[in-house]
Amino acid sequence: MGADTHCPYCALQCAMTITPAAGGPPEIAGRDFPTNRGGLCRKGWTSAALLDHPERLTTPLVRADDGVLRPASWDAALGRVAAQVTATRAAHGADAVGVFGGGGLTNEKAYQLGKFARLALGTSRIDYNGRFCMASAAAAGNRAFGVDRGLPFPVSDLDGAHTILLLGSNVAETMPPFVQHLRGARESGGLVVVDPRRTATADFTADGAGLHLQPVPATDLALLLGLCHLVIHDGLADKAYLADRTTGYAALARSVAAWWPERTSRTTGVPVAQLRETARLLAAGARSGGSYILTGRGVEQHVDGTDTATAAINLALLLGLPGSAHSGYGTLTGQGNGQGGREHGQKADQLPGYRKITDPAARAHVAKVWGVEEAAIPGPGLPAVELLASLGRPGGVRMFFVHGANPAVSAPDSTRVVDRLRSLDALVVCDFFLSETAALADVVLPALQWAEEDGTVTNLEGRVLRRRAAVPPPPGARSELWIMAGLAARLGAPSSFSDDPETVFTELRAASAGGPADYSGIDYALLDSGAAAYWPYPSGGTGTPRLFLDAFAHDGGRAALVPVAPAATGGHDAVTRDPLFAGGALALATGRLLEHYQSGAQTRRVPELAAASPGARLLIHPAAAAARGIPDGGPVTVANARGEAHCTAEYSTAQRLDTVFLPFHFPGLQGANLLTSSATDPVSGMPEFKTSSVTVAPGRVPAGQGSTGHRVVTGLRAGARGASDPGPVDMAGALRAAGARPGTPATERGGA
Amino acid sequence: MMPLERPGPQVARAHMPHIVVIGFGPVAARLVDGLLPAVQSGQLGVTVVGDELHPAYNRVLVADLGVGRTTVDAITLAATAELEAAGVVLDLGRCVRRVDRARQLVHLSDGRAVHYDKLVFATGSRPVVPKLHGLNPDPNVPLRLPAGVTTLRDLKDAATLHRAVLGGRRVVVLGGGILGVEAALAAAEEGARVTVVHHGAHTLGRSIDADAGQVLAGALQARGIAVAAHARSTAVVLDAAPAGDVPPEASFTALKLDGGGTVPGDLLVLSCGVRPRTEVAAGSGLRTARGILVDHSLQAHHDPQVFAIGDCAEIRCLDAGCRECAGSAGPQGLIGPGWRQAEWLAGFLVRPAEPAPPLAAEQAPVMLLKARGVDVAAAGNVAAGPFDPLPLDNPAGGPGAVAGAPAPLRVSVWADPEHGKYVKMATRDGVLEGFVSVGMPRAAAELVLLFERGAELPADRSALLGLDSAGLPAPNDPSRTVCRCAGVDQRTIAAAVAEGCGTVAEVSARTRAGTGCGGCHGEVRALIEQHFQGAPTPA
Repeated sequence: MGADTHCPYCALQCAMTITPAAGGPPEIAGRDFPTNRGGLCRKGWTSAALLDHPERLTTPLVRADDGVLRPASWDAALGRVAAQVTATRAAHGADAVGVFGGGGLTNEKAYQLGKFARLALGTSRIDYNGRFCMASAAAAGNRAFGVDRGLPFPVSDLDGAHTILLLGSNVAETMPPFVQHLRGARESGGLVVVDPRRTATADFTADGAGLHLQPVPATDLALLLGLCHLVIHDGLADKAYLADRTTGYAALARSVAAWWPERTSRTTGVPVAQLRETARLLAAGARSGGSYILTGRGVEQHVDGTDTATAAINLALLLGLPGSAHSGYGTLTGQGNGQGGREHGQKADQLPGYRKITDPAARAHVAKVWGVEEAAIPGPGLPAVELLASLGRPGGVRMFFVHGANPAVSAPDSTRVVDRLRSLDALVVCDFFLSETAALADVVLPALQWAEEDGTVTNLEGRVLRRRAAVPPPPGARSELWIMAGLAARLGAPSSFSDDPETVFTELRAASAGGPADYSGIDYALLDSGAAAYWPYPSGGTGTPRLFLDAFAHDGGRAALVPVAPAATGGHDAVTRDPLFAGGALALATGRLLEHYQSGAQTRRVPELAAASPGARLLIHPAAAAARGIPDGGPVTVANARGEAHCTAEYSTAQRLDTVFLPFHFPGLQGANLLTSSATDPVSGMPEFKTSSVTVAPGRVPAGQGSTGHRVVTGLRAGARGASDPGPVDMAGALRAAGARPGTPATERGGA
Repeated sequence: MMPLERPGPQVARAHMPHIVVIGFGPVAARLVDGLLPAVQSGQLGVTVVGDELHPAYNRVLVADLGVGRTTVDAITLAATAELEAAGVVLDLGRCVRRVDRARQLVHLSDGRAVHYDKLVFATGSRPVVPKLHGLNPDPNVPLRLPAGVTTLRDLKDAATLHRAVLGGRRVVVLGGGILGVEAALAAAEEGARVTVVHHGAHTLGRSIDADAGQVLAGALQARGIAVAAHARSTAVVLDAAPAGDVPPEASFTALKLDGGGTVPGDLLVLSCGVRPRTEVAAGSGLRTARGILVDHSLQAHHDPQVFAIGDCAEIRCLDAGCRECAGSAGPQGLIGPGWRQAEWLAGFLVRPAEPAPPLAAEQAPVMLLKARGVDVAAAGNVAAGPFDPLPLDNPAGGPGAVAGAPAPLRVSVWADPEHGKYVKMATRDGVLEGFVSVGMPRAAAELVLLFERGAELPADRSALLGLDSAGLPAPNDPSRTVCRCAGVDQRTIAAAVAEGCGTVAEVSARTRAGTGCGGCHGEVRALIEQHFQGAPTPA
């Protein structure tokens, strides 16, 4: 019989059934569920190909004195890690050990990782790759509503909506089965997609289904301020709602008085008529049928991402959408457990249940659940970009754990990140493949995949879902809960560290009780019954499919309108974003392809996906390409002061003339993040992934880089460090895999 | 003569520098916003003197207010109570009589004097009242206009226009510039009967060329707006007010034109441009030209304690050879430069010790008409035509080109007057020097950006024109991906159908097409139908 579970990839968490098959990978079938209605995308269909993949790691690897990763026993590997923790702590203090988590970890693992960092390692230095994903929307939601749940309503609420404004989200490629929920809006002509590219999602607005607004990159905030202005000035605001359910209207109205439509148009490149029609569609839906405003990474991954998401929320509040049964605002969470992963303590400033680590009551509660003194819980740490920048620096982190993340590819300004990772005394990576980050590690601990273990995830609606073990894991790989438990024991950690997911979940429930994300009323039996469990779900209560129907989570129950403005252009304040379009430079937007997920560590290893999308292709408007002498399909060099990426040009009239697009799934010299900036949003710590300034020139793709489907290149810009190109690591024979780093002199790794 | 210092609330000089801002329009409001944190922290004292009682509002929207499209609350930019709570002293409804720079005192109309350490003129500009019989303009004295005659600058003007629009009255707009055309279009759309009187060959004569003017004329006509071009007005005809008005007062009934014609109406809106308000500055001995002369730090000539920003300021430094100043056309009456100056000056005043980045030079202005359904944008020089002879010293850069001579101006045009569309692009070396766009909003938006960036246009100019066209239908290409989610092309689906799949579900089961978002079900169905239509009917 098959096991009912959910897809390993994005936050839609499509329901699927896995049925073991004799003599091959198990079979995957879509399962009827309100989010995906039986649908799966290509990534989901092919996900089983990774379970028995030849490159699967099935033994711990420890870097030997000769600089080569060699198989080791679990006892030796964990002993090595524990000894290194002890030595690092003794020499440099507890905060010299850091942890980097991931939004793909189950709730149990995310929770346990936060606890492991604070109690077993005693460090404040933990953050996770969700900082690259949801931090801006989360910060905006918290300050407007008092709580952050990506969609504060079930996704099926969207089905009948009259108007859906989708900002910076290409769902047709990033979560295809979600597109079913746009059908109502398309039929009523009310799908409005805001994206500098005419994406597959934007194409859904054709033929009268809606509008595509194609703004200049990095002008989303101005666009939203202009829409707020129109709603106020054209008398479309819901005055009764504003009076009853919000605070701050007068100041907000003043703050957008300066964003009249023509000024907005001049800044964004979006014609006034489209702005006005968007406002009209939203207002019409608010009156009848329903209007939703949804944001994605396209508008959030900016140095002003929090303010941009805030402006989207302000627009929704002006129209009276949030907290109504038929309308609302939401952010489309990206990673598989991007919602649960941001609730239970792997964020630098957070404790389980979405509690603040600086809140004495929260600390006392969690300390009691953990059975430790409150003082045993360290204070807030550093957000991801700062954390990564501190690696190997004086006073920074010298030993680093990475779980469920691949920052060597996924972090901004990756050249510098790889330098930092290399400067560590020790790097420990938990993964099921030798990712680009794992290839740099001193110890690699092989972990389990989604279909091999039990657990829970929380999808983009805040609904807690059960993942179930469907197939046995390969011998030699271990669950991360087991790994953390083993290390905690070796380190003599206080409290308890179970390797049983249900036991950990039971503890998570207690730790979350009373917090904003309260899971205390949810248990495995409830989830196994098929119940739809949306948090907050307090013990003895029921879940909350729709938040805010009666009140927002701020004291007084009102939502806060928070005035925001683009950074001053004429003032003295430093603008941290790249200056755009200077001297004929192009704007670079980065993003995802349908075939790949995140850093591609998984999907690049699926033959069907790798064949469909084998390497990075720079999408460029033919006119922009012609001006630079770049032929369609020709090699190009994309460059700025941070680095240089080499890939293939693909003509696309769906791009703006001034903007090129590069997917971020590819490693080595094709890496989009060689070009992105580590400048961050001052509120959320979110880096500016979406807009960089680049020059694009025709150029030869270096030998061997034409189609790195699933090869691993460890030495990013190795030449810059005076070392030769290390070339791909030989991955043949997973059990004996030894990731060498011939380019790195052993002396640089003296501490390992 | 010693100026008389009157007793009154003078801000103590103490250690806290005191800044006095004259004027409380949108530019002054932006400056005060920038100074606010320093006021709250006790680092600075700020007094704002404004002659309007209402706090700063967005003057750009006064015409919208005048036709009832927005409200005073919605265009307000500052909150009196909040500013005062933060420690800003607001002296509104008060005029500045004179400035005594020797003693650093601002003398107010109520007899008080306020000391300043730094003084900022943000006095803006006032509408030009033309010389017409019946009106008696003095550029330095705001006069009371006769009933039925208004400018369009402040809240009172907006209220006057609004009464006329509500009553469906006849509105005569004098002036074919941007504000005049905007007001005419808005008033006509909201129910007034509108005539535009101007002396040029076409409206927006300063911004657009004659052909664009023709296309715009068509748009105005389509909206029922009468336009009297080449019209020189000479006098306003005033008549006794309709019975019932108290007190009885002569009111506007017609505009007299040179040559004897008259344009009758109930309200005359004067839209003849604006002029910087410099009289107080000039009276205090500061140098003025069109505006108050300031250097690149917005500092008045020869007085480092005095600054001017916005409409009243004219950046022209003391360096006779300054290239930036040589190209400056003086104050533009646009809000954008004023706001940038305000933001810059706020930083300069708050952090006097820090070296300030240079204030970015303003680019040539871009005109974007504020009107619904009439899209006009223009910038730069658009007078040249596509077939104008090339300059002799550089005939297309070909043989005979003089080394170092600038590349010739190249002009491309696309005109479709029947559909109200017109685009002209004037480029040098591919970079825009001017453009005008009518009825092509997407192209206009991109041209604005390209002009502002000084970026090179695509060699194929039609790439810009194409932005406004509807998308092309999907090609019927067998290798075209039908199902993106599962990556299935048309050929694969057709093959599955040929092999016997007769329903979408069967095709999905065989190929996975349609198993993701389901968006391609219609296309899969169509391919199935296509197959069976093509198949021979069983006998």
